[in-house]
Amino acid sequence: MTTIRDARPALPPRPFRPPPAAIERRPFRDNPRLILLGIVLLIAALAAMVTLTDQSRELSPDFLSGVVLYALSAADLTILVVLLFVLARYIVKLAVERRRGLPFSRFRFKLVLALLGLTIIPSVLVLLVGGRLIRDSTQRWFSAPIEDVVSSARNIALELYREREKHVAAHASRMAREMPAGAVAAANLDAVRAAVKSEVTQGRVKLVEVFRLERGQPVPLVAVESPTMPRGPARPSADRFAARIAAGSTDSAAFDPLDAGGELVRSGAVIRDAGGTPVGVVIASDLLSTELAAQSRRITAAYEGYTQLQVLKRPLEGVYLSFFLMMTLMILLSATWTGWYLAKRITRPVQLLAAGAREIGAGRLDHRIEPETRDEFGSLVEAFNTMAGELAASQKKLERSRVDLERKNIELDERRRYIETVVERIATGVISMDADGRIETINSAALRLLEVDRSVIGSLADDVLAREDLRPLDILLRHMRSGGSDPAAQELALAREGRELHLAAAMTPLLGEEGDPSGAVLVFDDVTPLIRAQRVAAWRDVARRLAHEIKNPLTPIQLCAERMRRHFSGAPPASRALVEECTTTIVGEVESLKDLVDEFAQFARMPAPRTVPSDLNALLTETLALYNGLFREIRIERRLAEALPPVRVDVEQIRRVVINLVDNAVEALGGSGAQARPNADTPFIVVETQLDAVNGVARIIVADNGPGISPADRDKLFMPYYSTKRRGSGLGLAIVRRIVAEHGGSIEVGDHTPAGTVFTIELPV
Amino acid sequence: MKRVFAFALAAVLLHAAQAAAQTIKITPLARDGQVLVSFNLTDGFNDDVRAAIHSGMNITFQYQVDLRRSTTLWLDRTIASAVVSASVRFDTLTRKYQFTRMHDGRTLLSDMTDSYDVVRQWLTGFEKLPLFNSRTLERNSEYYVRVRATKSPRTAPFIWPWAGHDVMGQVKFTFLPH
Repeated sequence: MTTIRDARPALPPRPFRPPPAAIERRPFRDNPRLILLGIVLLIAALAAMVTLTDQSRELSPDFLSGVVLYALSAADLTILVVLLFVLARYIVKLAVERRRGLPFSRFRFKLVLALLGLTIIPSVLVLLVGGRLIRDSTQRWFSAPIEDVVSSARNIALELYREREKHVAAHASRMAREMPAGAVAAANLDAVRAAVKSEVTQGRVKLVEVFRLERGQPVPLVAVESPTMPRGPARPSADRFAARIAAGSTDSAAFDPLDAGGELVRSGAVIRDAGGTPVGVVIASDLLSTELAAQSRRITAAYEGYTQLQVLKRPLEGVYLSFFLMMTLMILLSATWTGWYLAKRITRPVQLLAAGAREIGAGRLDHRIEPETRDEFGSLVEAFNTMAGELAASQKKLERSRVDLERKNIELDERRRYIETVVERIATGVISMDADGRIETINSAALRLLEVDRSVIGSLADDVLAREDLRPLDILLRHMRSGGSDPAAQELALAREGRELHLAAAMTPLLGEEGDPSGAVLVFDDVTPLIRAQRVAAWRDVARRLAHEIKNPLTPIQLCAERMRRHFSGAPPASRALVEECTTTIVGEVESLKDLVDEFAQFARMPAPRTVPSDLNALLTETLALYNGLFREIRIERRLAEALPPVRVDVEQIRRVVINLVDNAVEALGGSGAQARPNADTPFIVVETQLDAVNGVARIIVADNGPGISPADRDKLFMPYYSTKRRGSGLGLAIVRRIVAEHGGSIEVGDHTPAGTVFTIELPV
Repeated sequence: MKRVFAFALAAVLLHAAQAAAQTIKITPLARDGQVLVSFNLTDGFNDDVRAAIHSGMNITFQYQVDLRRSTTLWLDRTIASAVVSASVRFDTLTRKYQFTRMHDGRTLLSDMTDSYDVVRQWLTGFEKLPLFNSRTLERNSEYYVRVRATKSPRTAPFIWPWAGHDVMGQVKFTFLPH
């Protein structure tokens, strides 16, 4: 069972459901769950990108210009490669399908191209317009008025800081010059504090810190601050700044944000003694109010944001353009895939039907198509499967009928062969003819009885039976030609080499289904043995009656003759001699008549043979021994077959048969008066035995080289009271035939080559 | 479509041109059981970098330094690796540069200056950094030091996905311990 498995599991019950032998992995396009999952993932990815883009302002520049841009670039390239791969794959598949001549390949490709064409134009337009909008928008971000405002604000703040820085630096330098270096070196705190106190009290600076240098390292000495300075922990930044100033750093200004708000503007200067040797460092600090510092920082932050945006302009453009490009590519890819998917969904059922039709046409009627949808295509597939099922059922019925017909044909053939064999083997001759009288079949018995060969098949029966000896059959052919529908029977006698062959023939016309003649069957049996037997039986009855009627008066006749001889024993010699002669003749003839009557009686009362397995060769040897030395001029020769099996015979009856035949042969050769012939052809008698294992018979052949028997006499030879001898009773060969027949055998007479007669007896082994 | 393609092509070409213009000069030196590596990124400070620094962004130059040995029939083997980074942040209000150097996450230096040249030197030039231990190296064998530099944030409009760094340089040396 071959089945295309692409079905959805939730379809309604179907008339055909193949066994789930192997679970096949369904392709993506036929798995709704996977398709739904893919769509959800796609939407999620788009939502994530939209969100990411929306929050791009909050993202760090590193993340935006690195991770996001990298991800988008990689995604764009990947989608582009996938799109190219999908298109190339479709093109290759189209080329392969067109080369193979598969249907719908052009339709699918056209559908894909149509959808791609429908989507590529708006997608590219969106990409172009979007790109243009992005560039215009970014350009608008950095328009001159905005940049001027931001830069000016930042410059104001910058100038404010510079002015404070210069102001503090000037005070720091002046204090360093006016500071008593000796007091600093000697760590005279009062003198130093007195020198700087006025700076704070008069409000020129908010904080003055003096450091004394010990081995080049600044050590805090005095710090005077304004009461308006916010209180807080010590500021280590002053120490580091003083160290930098002491180290000769050119960076003489610093800005320290305060924890309580505001910012210190610091500036330092080195205090030198009269010789120019640094002895200390003075750091003057002014306080930027919290509000002023915060405003300045906000202005600076805005400026930095603006300038950073300018720096990140290209990456941002890249992000947005990559996003648009990705959207475009995804739309194109989706359109391509959707086109292919739709084409598949549309053409696949038709393809399946076409393939199914080919399978059905190829004889695979168990082929089924599993419906994938419940729409019109599904109904069509169901109808196809129903049709295939009905075809399969019809084919099974036809197959069963064919098998049944084959079986019946075989039976008929066997029966026909059996009948042919029977017809061929039976002793009855059978000839069938068609309506035109042409011989269609003829069996072996018919060939043998009619003495024709199988070449007569196909010949007209009229031509075959036109032979002189077969003319008696013409009466039956005439009956067939006359159109008679009743069988016609006739006993016929055919001449066979001077003998008569008696046939019981019947012609049966054959009629077709509508009663029209379709031929005839000629059947004939050899009834010659039957007729002979009937004749023998009749003769036996005659012999019995004759013997009875003749034998009764013979004894009185003989007694009367002997009485007359005794009565006339005293008569004159002449009378006595006459009586003696007459009575002797009467007694002699009566004796002859008695012998004849005895022979008749014996013929009539022939007993049934009592057969026993006997050795024919020994039987013949013993029988022929009786003739030793009786006939000098006749040579009696024995040709006995070797390995002759025992034959069931009545030994005395067969002995009588052999003696009868040999006596006939001796008499034919001249008996005691036989003489040698001038051509040195010695009169001889050959007694021979043969074994015919094929036909299952043993033969006894008695042949002589006497004058032979004319063909006209041969047929009558075995009839009772027929004899070619002057004093023969005519019962010898009749008895021989009867004995042989009662042993289940047969006897035939023929010519002996070059001269003489041969008798052949066949006895079943 | 042509503009998009031109934009992408220009971005790729610009990226390639910038990478080609930048080089790293590397000088390895084996001394006192260590491999001292000096390298200098030339032309690493262009106008884009300058603008980025002065915008107040935190600009970082990260250098992936690998000590490697060539293999004839297989990929070269990396003996040791180190990551050196230098970052700078410009305070647009006080006009001072705050820069930091780090080695494998440890801060080597953090200072402040108002000199752009100083900053440039600190970001692109490194002298005799003891990055690798030379005790595992084989005498008279040839090695090479590979330095891959990456600047962040990037200012290119397009990132070639397979480009993991902006510029790379390498130099061979034969290990002869002193």
